[in-house]
Parts: sequence; structure tokens; C-alpha cells
Amino acid sequence: MMNRIALCCGILLSASTGVEAKEKVDFSSDIQPLLSKNCLACHGLDAGSRKADLRLDQRAAAVDAGVIVPGEPDESELVARVETSDSILVMPPVDSGHSLTEQEIALFRRWVAEGAEYEEHWSFSPPVKVEPPQGEQSDWPASAIDHFVLRRLEDAGLKPRSEADRLTLIRRVSLDLTGLPPTVEEAEAFVADQSPKAYEKVVDRLLASPAYGERWARMWLDLARYADTKGYEKDRHRDIWRYRDWVINAFNDDMPYDQFTIEQLAGDLLPDRTTEQILATAFHRNTMTNEEGGTDNEEFRVAAVKDRVDTTLQVWMGLTMGCAKCHSHKYDPITINDYYSFYAFFNQTQDADAEAPFYPTPTAEQARQIELQQVKLQELKSEPETDEAAIKEAEEALKAIQESIPKTPVMLELAPKKQRLTKLHNRGNFLDQGDEVQPAVLTEFVDAPEEVEPNRLAVAKWLMQADNPLTSRVMVNRLWARLFGVGLVETEEDFGTQGTPPSHPELLDWLAVDFRENGWSMKQLLKTIVMSQTYRQDSETTPELIEADPRNRLLSRGPHFRLPAEVVRDQALAVSGLLTEKIGGPSVMPPQPEGIWKSTYSGESWQNAEGPDRYRRALYTYLKRTSPYPAMITFDAGSGEVCQVRRVRTNTPLQALVTLNDTAFVEAAGALAKRMEEAGDTTRAQIAHGFRRVLIRPATEAELDRLVELYESLDGDLLDAGELLKAAGVEQGDARLVAVANVLLNLDETVMKP
Amino acid sequence: MTNEPLPLGLESVRATTRRHFFGQAGLGLGAIALSSLLNGESTAATNPAWKIPAKAKSIIYLHMAGSPSQVDLFEHKPDLQRLHNTECPQEYLEGKRFAFIKGVPKMLGAQFSYKQYGETGQWVSDLLPNLTTILDDICVIRSVHTDQFNHAPAQLFMHTGNSLLGYPAMGSWVTYGLGSENANLPGFVVLSSGGKTPSAGKSLWGSGFLPTVYQGVQCRTDGGDPILFLSDPPGMSRAARRKTLDALADLNQFQHQNVGDPETMTRIAQYELAFRMQLSVPEVMDIGRETKETLEMYGAQPGYVSEAESAADPRVLYKGDDPTFANNCLLARRLVESGVRFVQLYDWGWDHHGSSPGESIDETLPIKCRQIDRAVTALITDLKQRGLLDETLVIWGGEFGRTPMMQNNKNTELVKGFIGRDHHPYAFTMWMAGGGIKPGVFGSTDDIGYYIAENPVSVRDLQSTILHQIGIDPHRFSFPYQGLNQRLIGPTEEGRVVHEILT
Repeated sequence: MMNRIALCCGILLSASTGVEAKEKVDFSSDIQPLLSKNCLACHGLDAGSRKADLRLDQRAAAVDAGVIVPGEPDESELVARVETSDSILVMPPVDSGHSLTEQEIALFRRWVAEGAEYEEHWSFSPPVKVEPPQGEQSDWPASAIDHFVLRRLEDAGLKPRSEADRLTLIRRVSLDLTGLPPTVEEAEAFVADQSPKAYEKVVDRLLASPAYGERWARMWLDLARYADTKGYEKDRHRDIWRYRDWVINAFNDDMPYDQFTIEQLAGDLLPDRTTEQILATAFHRNTMTNEEGGTDNEEFRVAAVKDRVDTTLQVWMGLTMGCAKCHSHKYDPITINDYYSFYAFFNQTQDADAEAPFYPTPTAEQARQIELQQVKLQELKSEPETDEAAIKEAEEALKAIQESIPKTPVMLELAPKKQRLTKLHNRGNFLDQGDEVQPAVLTEFVDAPEEVEPNRLAVAKWLMQADNPLTSRVMVNRLWARLFGVGLVETEEDFGTQGTPPSHPELLDWLAVDFRENGWSMKQLLKTIVMSQTYRQDSETTPELIEADPRNRLLSRGPHFRLPAEVVRDQALAVSGLLTEKIGGPSVMPPQPEGIWKSTYSGESWQNAEGPDRYRRALYTYLKRTSPYPAMITFDAGSGEVCQVRRVRTNTPLQALVTLNDTAFVEAAGALAKRMEEAGDTTRAQIAHGFRRVLIRPATEAELDRLVELYESLDGDLLDAGELLKAAGVEQGDARLVAVANVLLNLDETVMKP
Repeated sequence: MTNEPLPLGLESVRATTRRHFFGQAGLGLGAIALSSLLNGESTAATNPAWKIPAKAKSIIYLHMAGSPSQVDLFEHKPDLQRLHNTECPQEYLEGKRFAFIKGVPKMLGAQFSYKQYGETGQWVSDLLPNLTTILDDICVIRSVHTDQFNHAPAQLFMHTGNSLLGYPAMGSWVTYGLGSENANLPGFVVLSSGGKTPSAGKSLWGSGFLPTVYQGVQCRTDGGDPILFLSDPPGMSRAARRKTLDALADLNQFQHQNVGDPETMTRIAQYELAFRMQLSVPEVMDIGRETKETLEMYGAQPGYVSEAESAADPRVLYKGDDPTFANNCLLARRLVESGVRFVQLYDWGWDHHGSSPGESIDETLPIKCRQIDRAVTALITDLKQRGLLDETLVIWGGEFGRTPMMQNNKNTELVKGFIGRDHHPYAFTMWMAGGGIKPGVFGSTDDIGYYIAENPVSVRDLQSTILHQIGIDPHRFSFPYQGLNQRLIGPTEEGRVVHEILT
């Protein structure tokens, strides 16, 4: 218990330290983070862990308790307790491991002196589109984005950088929008295009390319925790690639984000639902099922439902629910009751830790074949003299196609009579259930829709309601982060009070509203961003710029960071001419080292693909959760076990070993060397050609000199030509060029976005 | 000093990930770029509040995947012998879930005889004759219990602190906190034997929500590359590789001059480290460099590749003299000697349900014990002789225990080769040695070894103790994720350092 009398013993520190008293203390940026980090674990929403019956997350509660006396810091216990040097009384307590700096303590005092005003957390009120500010450098901005960015740059005494040259720009935007580099021809055409719309034409072409859907589907599949196996001990095969292809198609068709959301969360509940809409619900069938002997199906069904709840709120609203399933959230307004009320929506599907229910999900080709066969059958049957043998043959052909249709696990609702009761799980334990709860959305954030049946469809629509403050912000921030390397809100996974505040709040809101106003078009959103001058800046930097804007949070230069795992591979295959351009279909098994798959019980094995499937884009590589593809995880891709909101990029020697020695990259070097050989008569010309294919820009003389020097130094028996060529998958050729191509594919510039 | 969790910011995580591979010293070329990147961030990371005085510098964790029978190895229970082959009393069955047992099983006494050894007069069965000679160097904990009774969740719980997938392994946590002592080797190495990886797969050494740089690096001993992609392509000599890397570094330098991103310098350094690893890893992995006496002590055979490693069902090929696990034990010593922080061994094949002679208590357990007994004894002895035992924490155990009842498969009677036990999470035995652990016995179970009688040690207690010994306060050591300050020992305060077993 707090002992108010004992407070008098505390020695009050002077509050003059360090803080300049020119502007009013801002609750959201100054006080909320301090409260959140240091106080709310014991004095927040969660009654279970609350100490001294005191809440500091609500102004009224803190004032009623007499802990904060607005305007009177000397009367406020909060101020006294953070200022005291008495180790028994001081807050936060010594053994909490938290402590405040002198500046932070002074902030508390000033904030109380100024009236101790609370504000709602920035992301919990709806975004508003404000007029972009006008900066001084009026000739730079090309869009609203640039105005917001310029304002912050000028405030910091910085200037934006000039536009990147066209070769850099087309490589950057191609890698970003399609996950593939441009061809040299495409780059040359862009350079030669004198039209003022030259860049926009490139952007439009890329957005219309089928590769666009593949690139952005991969982003979504991280969130959907997509994998080709069921997880846990047995981790057997799961046929769910039709869902992956659904995502690719949705991106390529620029399905509006609201429809995209509704179909994945509740396609089965739509009136006149189509097969494709039911297929979309496989989003939430990517949860794992446990086939280990003797496991309790209910335990793992519950785990899957919780995963769906957590993933839904994480993906659409940037809220973390990890804690609320055991106790009320300590920081954000989500009680354990809220959690299980939301859980109730997801607790009514038929699946129960097994793959069923399935739904037949024919590919477009299969659907066409079926129709053809049916027409044929109809014709045969309607002939005056029926040919029984022909009919039988046609029937069998039809049956064969129907049997080959992939059956995808989907979400289907239980019949009303069979619906489950939902109760609280005390401390998250499904065996220890408490009071019954009714399905309810999180009304602390957005009002519930009126007069609708309380089911998943209502949840999906609630997420997309115009007054939902988070959905749009979270998605625009996500796409921004894929383009710039860091989101405007760095903690993409947490928009709650524990997350980081946005670097450009008005820009984020402008984009969020714009996204909704544009009918939730993701292509339009991406176009808006990549058309900005902010995106088009060159990415060169200087020691001074690193000093002033070390992490480019002010956007003082173009984005520059390592390409994602899949793009590292796809680019190597593309520039060497190996890439198989085929969209969709069952997952494939490109070469991986022997003995990677040693799963405990399943007899399934990895068979290195030969032919076109050896060189498909990385998103088609078979993903086994307990044994993900080594080259991909080394470059920070996930295993699909849980929803992955962002990948933290690393830079390790194991990555170097992949791009130097992995079969895919050695074979890419072989194919590239072959192209180089065919493209010129001299070594220098050949190397220049290879350089150009990889980096799109021509090599400088110094670069060529160095590579030619390398080539010439690889004489004598430094290389065993026969062996190296064989490893590189070419029958005959110039092994020295293979070694040079291997270097080209490993350049820093190659694996970095330019 | 605050105990602020290490910041989640991308750059700062990247900076710390670099430190992981660079070790503490920093390395020529990269060090400049590194120190400039770390500017202003290093204090929180180098002297955080969770750091406490360390008793151990490294950890070797020997996990017997499938879970050995404590009843037949460490738990001498005359009362159980008396009840042998009688029906299990109802009190032990009510409200219990078993993986495979159905109906009323029969009690199953130890299948091997026990004798007393060491200064404490501990009972150990005949299956571990070598281990009995070093009993006074290890601490046998007879009272470990877990929440999980299936392999994958129980293994995950033991190693990641959570029975679901997606959480960082203990080795990831430790290297995230402490980095590596050797700039040329990964900090967290995994070795496996027994022909298969454990049930929960590579998730057991995954880095979960920590950056992937902290995931365990599985070193393979089956004749291929010890680390994936370590070998240059066939036909490329080491001298040629050197020349290509020189050219690569020069071109990357040009790039750095033009663009000025410090990450380019880091990349140059990482390629150099990769080049050094190409030598250092095979070197440290080459047990052929050990003396004949050492090899003999472990029962190790350099270059041996067991048939079991490539068999569809390795259990039928188990032989008592298979040296794969012994080789891995010797490797573990070489690795910690070289400064590797966390060496994790998994030995598969300990799930003795009795459903076939290849997985039975009476036929398979003795074979598995022969595979490990001499090797683990040699490991402790060898570490001790080299003065490394004090600074190396060694842990041995499974993910749970086995029932004192027989698993009534198809046979209700005892049939040779079909004697088995089901999973038992309520009480089982593990042992620890070195790294500030006091030798002796801790905890006990009831008369038939079903429940713990005194001094229970939970999985969270074990994890707390392990972190404590390596110099990490388990309660303060966290990483922010999903709205929680995530910890190895979970969100609650139940985990406790078992001070009673510390020196």
C-alpha cells in the first residue's frame, strides 16, 4: 500500500534539470511513453496485477486517488514518489528494474504543473487528412507526401537529395514493385523516353505485370503464416497452395483491401458465395494442426483459434494480444473479457485440430476442362443415337479431372445448433474456464456495427468501417515499410501505447485517408508512394548526413537496404536468364543440400527438381515449417509457424556462404557466364555485359579493370575448369567467367536495393 | 542504470547482431563501421541490468530426445518392484491423460538391477556403469516436472519456454544476451545423433522473434559440409576463392565510396569472416586432431557416419558401439574450448513405448545407454582435466519422464522386446554438472516414483538456474514482442533459481 504520510520524508529534487521550459509538455509524446514503460504494469488496466488499487492510465482515477493534483506538483504524490531518493518509497520501485532519468522526472513535474492533461493515444482516434504544409524549396515536391517530408527536413536544417539517375531508379522501382530487376532493354527504353510521363509509364507497366502479384503476395503470406505443411511434430504435407495463388490473383486484380479482408476472414459467410470466396478463408486455415499421438484435439483447436484472434488483430489493427489471453492488457484498453468476447466470433468454425473441412478448389484451367467435358458429355447424350462407349469415356475423363481438383482446408461455420459456448479461460488455460461471454468487437476502438448478425462477417466489416482508426494506418504503414525499409511507425506490429510513435504523423494519416478514399486500391497506394520525389531521391549518403539522420527516419535520402530473401534469389535467376516465369501451381523443390529433411515420422522426402521447376520464383519453394528452406531463412525469411509482421534484417557470414556457394547461385553464375561469353569477343566486353545484366548500369572503367584483373589472375590450376563448370550446370565454357559471375552476384550493390 | 529492454529498432538490432558474429573484440575492417554504428547504443547493450556475475562461460546441453526412463536408470524403488505386474492403483489413473495408455495398466518395476555408488551412496542402475565413476562430479535432480506430455510441445517448452512454436531457443537467448567469445565461429551450435532430428524439428533452435542471426547453427557430422554452404563449389580452389573475395572487397569499397552506407563495410567484413570460417569450422569440427587416448576415452571414431543417419527408420539399426553421439560429445568439448557459447546436442531414439523391439525398455534402452554412457562420462572427465568444467555448465535429460506403469500396447503380458513405458510429466530425473553446480542429489519422488515427494524443480526453475549460472538474471532478461517483455522463463513469476544446488 502507498503510505502517503511517509512521503514527507522524501527529499525533493530540484526540477530545473535539463528540460527547457519553452513548450508545453506533450502527453502523447512525452508522458504517455513514460507511464507506459514505467508505471502501467502495476497501475494500469489489468486489475489482476494492479498495486495499491491505483490506476494511472486514466486521469480521473489518478486525480480521484489524490495522486495527481492538477497544477500542483508539490501536492501530487506522483511527483513526490518519482522525485524521492528514498529507495523504499521511490517509484518505479528499485526492484522493478525501471528507473527515471532526471529529465524524465522533471517532465512529470512540469506536466502536472501545467495541468496534467491526458490525451487519447494517437492511433486510437481516426486519421484526419490535413492540408500538406508548404516548404521553402517549392520546386521539389511532386506530391502531398513530399510536402510533409520536406517540412520535417527543413525543420532539421536538411535538404532532400536530388532524383536518382534513371538506371538506378528503374532498378529500384522494378525490384520494389515486382521483386525482379528490369531487363537491360527496359532500362534503355526508359533512359531514351523523353516524355514527361516516362517514369509513370514504367510504374504503370510494373503494376500491371503479373510479377507484381507474386512480389506482394509474398509480403501477405508472411502475415498469413502460409506454409505447405501442418506443423508440430509430424509436420505432414498440407495442400493449401491454391490459397497462395488466390492471394497472387487478388493482388494482380487489385482487389480492394476491404473486399480482400472480408473474403479472407469471412468469405464463407457471404451471400451467394463463390468457390474463390470460400478459398480465401484458407487464410485462417494456415494455423497448425497437431497429429502427434495422444494429443488433445481441443487443446490444439483452442490454440489455433487464439492464433486466429491474435493474427486478425495484429494484421489489421496492429494490436498485440499476446498478453490479453491470460490477463487484461497492461497498456492498451483490452481486458481479458474483451479478448474472449472477440474470440467467440472465431470459436464457431467446424475445424477441430484436423484438416477438415475441405473444399474443392479447381484452378482456372481445371474449371475450364470440366466445363469442356460437361459440354461434350451433354452433346454426346443429346445425340439421336447415343454412343454408350463414348459417353462412358467422357464421364471417366470428367471424373478424372474432378478427382485431380485440389481440396483446400477452409473455414466453414458450425450449424446453429452445434455452436460452441465461449467462456473465459482463466490465465489463458483452456481447461480452467470461467464465465460465459458473448461475441463482441473491441468497442474501445470502434463502435460495433448495428443490427448485424454477430459472426466473422461482422468482424470483417467492423475492421473496414470508415471510423476504424487503425486498419488503414496499419496497412499503409506496412506498404511504406516494404518500400523504405522502416515504417513511418517503426513497430509495424504494435500501434498501441507500447509501440513507437510515427515519424511523420500527418503523412501517415494523409495516406491512410487517401487509401480509403481511393476505394482501398493497393496499386494506387503504391503508385502514390513510388511517384513521390521522396521515394525517387538518390540513396547516396555522407558522414554528415549519417550524423544528422542516421537511420534515414527523416527521409533525407532514398531507401537503401538489403533485398528480401526471395528477391536475392529471384534476381540471381532473372539476370542469369534461368528464371522460370510461371504463375501458381503446387509448391516446388529446388535443390537444397542432402539430409536437411530428417523429420521424425513422416516418410516424405525432398526431391531436387529438375527442369523448369528448379528455377521458379522463391515464393513457390516448398515450405516445411519444421525444416524451412535454408537459403531463405538465412536471409531472414520466416518458417510460417506464426504471423510474421516484419522481418528484422541481419547481415551475417552465413548469408555470404549462401550467395557464394549454394547450388542455385552457382548455377546462376554458370548461366550468367554463358550469356557473357556469347555477348562479346573480348574478356572485357564479356565482363562488361555481365556487369550490366546484373546491375543494369554500365561498369566504370575502374570496376572493369579490377574484374578483368581477377579474370586474368585465375590462371594455372587455381580453377579445375571441368569441375566448376559441372557444378555450375554448364557443359562447356569459360570457368574463369563463372568465377567472375559469382563475384557479380555477390556484390554489395547486387544484394542491396539501389 | 535502467534495465531498459534492448531496443527493438531495426538498426540497433542489426548493430547487436553484428556484435554476435564479431565477438566482443571487433575485427579490423568492420570495426570502424561497427563502432560508428554502435555509437550511443553500446552502453545499454554492454552493461544492462540483467547482467549478473557469471559462474559459467559456456553451456553444453545434452538432450535425449524421446525421454529416457528414469525408472530404469536413476530411480531405485523397491516398492515398485513389489507391485511389479499388478494392476495400477486407480489413484494414479483418475483424471490423468496419457499419450498411449488406455484402461488399467500394470505396474512395471525397473528392468535392470541397481547398486549404490559414490560418496553419497546414490543408486544407479547397471545401464550406466561409466557414469557411476563420476557421480561425485554431477548433481542428480530427481524431481523435475513439466506441463507437457507430448514430445514436440514438451521439447519446445524445455528449450524455448513455450509449448507452441515461434519462441527463441535458450541458446538464442543466451547468445542474444552475451554474444560469442570466438569471432570466427557461431555462438550457438547444434549437433544431432540417433538418425533423426527431434520431434519439434529445427524450431528447437530457432530464434523465434529474436533476429535470425541468433538461431542455432546446425553443424552436420555426416560427411557433408559441417555448416551449410561452407564449401566452395567443386573446382574452386581456396586460392581462387581468395582472389575472388579480394576483387569483391575492392568493388565493394568502390561502392562504399560512392554511396557511403556503413552496411557495405559490414558486408565486406562478413565475407572475410565467412572465408575464415571456411577454415576454422572444419578445423574445430575435426576430431581427428585429438589424441588416441582422448578418442579412446570418449569412444569416438573420426569420420564415422552411422547407417542410422540415412535410414528411414534408424531404430532397427541401433548398435551399442555406434560412436556418433560420442563424436558429438568430443566436438562439444572442442567447441566450448574454442569459445562457442552454447552447444546443444540432441540424441534421438529414447522414446521407449515398447511397441516394437526397436523402441523398448528391455532391448533398446540398454543399446542407447551404451551409446552415451562412456561418452558423457568422458566429457565430464575431459572438461575437468582441462580445467574447463568450472566454467562449462553441462545438462543432461529428456523432455519428460516415463511412467512406472507398463504401456499396455497390444500385449497385456510382458513380452520380450515389447516392454515399454508411456510419457510421464509428473516426475523425472535430469543431471547437471560444472558451471557452479554443487554435486550431489536433489529432490525425491514417492515410493513408486510417480509423484515428487520433495523439492520439485519445474522447467521454468531449470531455465532460471541455467540463465543465472551463465550470468543472466532470468527475471530481468527480456525482449519486447507482442506487447509483452518476453522472457525465456515466461511472463509469470513462477520460475525460481534453484539456489540449493549451487556452489
